[in-house]
Amino acid sequence: MMGQFVWRNLFHRPVRTLIGMLAIAVEVMLVITIVGLTSGMLQETAKRIEGIGADIMVQPNSSTMFIGFTGAPMPIKIADKIAELKYVQYVTPALLQFNTAGGVETIWGIDPISFRQVSNGFVFLQGHGLQGPDDMLVDDWQAKAKHVKVGDTYTVLNHAWKVVGIVEHGKAGRIFVPITTLQELVGAHDKATIFLVKCTRAEHTADVMEEIKQILPSNKVQPVKEYMSLMTSTNIPALQTFINSIIALAVSIGLLVIFLSMYTTVLERTRDIGVLKSLGASKFMIVRALLAETTLLCFLGILSGVGLSYTVRAAFLKLFPTLSILITPGWVLRAALIAILGALVGASYPAWQASRKDAVEALAYD
Amino acid sequence: MGITVTIRTNSAENTESEIKTLEPILKVENVWKLYHAGKVEVPALRGVNLDVLPGEAVAVMGPSGCGKSSLLYVIGGLAKASRGRVLVDGNDLVTMTDAERTKLRRSKIGFVFQRFNLLPALTAKGNIAIAQYIHGDGFDPHRFEVVTKMLGLDGRLNHRPAEMSGGEQQRVAIARAIINEPKILLADEPTGNLDTKNSEIVLEMLRRLNKDLGQTIVMITHNPEATTYFDRVVHMRDGVIVDGIPAD
Repeated sequence: MMGQFVWRNLFHRPVRTLIGMLAIAVEVMLVITIVGLTSGMLQETAKRIEGIGADIMVQPNSSTMFIGFTGAPMPIKIADKIAELKYVQYVTPALLQFNTAGGVETIWGIDPISFRQVSNGFVFLQGHGLQGPDDMLVDDWQAKAKHVKVGDTYTVLNHAWKVVGIVEHGKAGRIFVPITTLQELVGAHDKATIFLVKCTRAEHTADVMEEIKQILPSNKVQPVKEYMSLMTSTNIPALQTFINSIIALAVSIGLLVIFLSMYTTVLERTRDIGVLKSLGASKFMIVRALLAETTLLCFLGILSGVGLSYTVRAAFLKLFPTLSILITPGWVLRAALIAILGALVGASYPAWQASRKDAVEALAYD
Repeated sequence: MGITVTIRTNSAENTESEIKTLEPILKVENVWKLYHAGKVEVPALRGVNLDVLPGEAVAVMGPSGCGKSSLLYVIGGLAKASRGRVLVDGNDLVTMTDAERTKLRRSKIGFVFQRFNLLPALTAKGNIAIAQYIHGDGFDPHRFEVVTKMLGLDGRLNHRPAEMSGGEQQRVAIARAIINEPKILLADEPTGNLDTKNSEIVLEMLRRLNKDLGQTIVMITHNPEATTYFDRVVHMRDGVIVDGIPAD
């Protein structure tokens, strides 16, 4: 009976219910999408690094999780020193240049030969590898996002590159140019951002790392697997703060809308509350009915929010193919719990108020 | 000081001595109800005394503002008397907490209001069933059928209040009020919003509840014709009962 009462009350005012549902849906969508975007981008970046196939990364000590922001402070000759070490099969340098003109992207300057040795090469969907100094490779997602094809001219860093090949995504970056040309362009002669090391066998990774640390004590040496595991929002304090802020904002929206909705509901149903009291409904029963209504509204909002998240994701991916939005069951559940808690907090004051209404006054309310 | 009403009934079968041995189901003793309008105290009831026997049907009449509704709400536990005693089936409402009065109201008192006061989101069936749910025993289909049949609600149970006439709504309200077999049915001008024909129907229903099922009824009314359906009429003025005479 209570279920029927709650359900019918909810749909007695369909517009108000829809607005409440929408607020919850937006709240849930915000949480899922923002978290999905950040973790998706992080995970996708990590996967691309993993996709290179290297075992060890050597970077400057000042480097952060965001390799593209590091600059190019290391001499390229470090590659030769590393190559001489026992159990090192191949080494490849890379120069990463972050570009914000015309979009946000990281350009990878690579040495095609050593990069192929470490990574087993690209999977070409169209065209061929880097041959000339102005050649450029783009991955399929970047090609789709920027509407480029083999033979097109792609201007980046104020330089006209010729797109000679489109490769399968998932390896290192999205845009690849010859490292020597990029060094000239950014004024980083014989410099590299990162060295990627492939060991003869994966079991030798620790030994090779030790040796590298001995010859390069002032550099950061870490296994690629470790980098992968660290590419989460919890390891990036500012990002975690950003996510928490978004969650707080989303909860505030939901809480306030539900508060207003239930406050109006209680006001509108003052006489109904008086009737329930005349029938002998206890304060607890009245609070429970209102909170049950809120929970049901929330549940409908959560379902809508999850649906909306997938819709927003599809729309984003259509508009920005290089984006990655990861929607996980864990965060869907967290978003749902956050929404329910926020809604119950928002509804608790109106529910408490309703339970305390004087029955006689409530019955006389117009 | 209030005036005690002498109890007499219409039934020729009961002698006065037999009546005196019956314990009143409702006993109102020197009840005062004071409302506060700022610093001013407004007495709605000024020492009311009223006894109602089980199975009696009592009509309370009086001009607007004489305290009829206040008396009804105090009897029903919706408002607390400022002074005096209100005994419903032996339970003194004045000494009870709000939660205790609510519990008592749930099991022993049924209300019918002038404005029907049905829950608009529920169907007629839902409005009646919710009273059973609140009572705590769950839906009793047998009792439900008996009551709805008696009140002629077959075929209207799946309609919401907005889809029903005033008379039908009031009959649903009566069904809701009696579904849990309350000791006392309190009716606050139940025909006040009805036309003549529906008023007669509702009053006849109440009369049948009283005569056939022995339902104790206390009804407030402005309608002098309504009093013909009741055993006893009590008149109120300025917060006191001034006269309590048999309906005949």
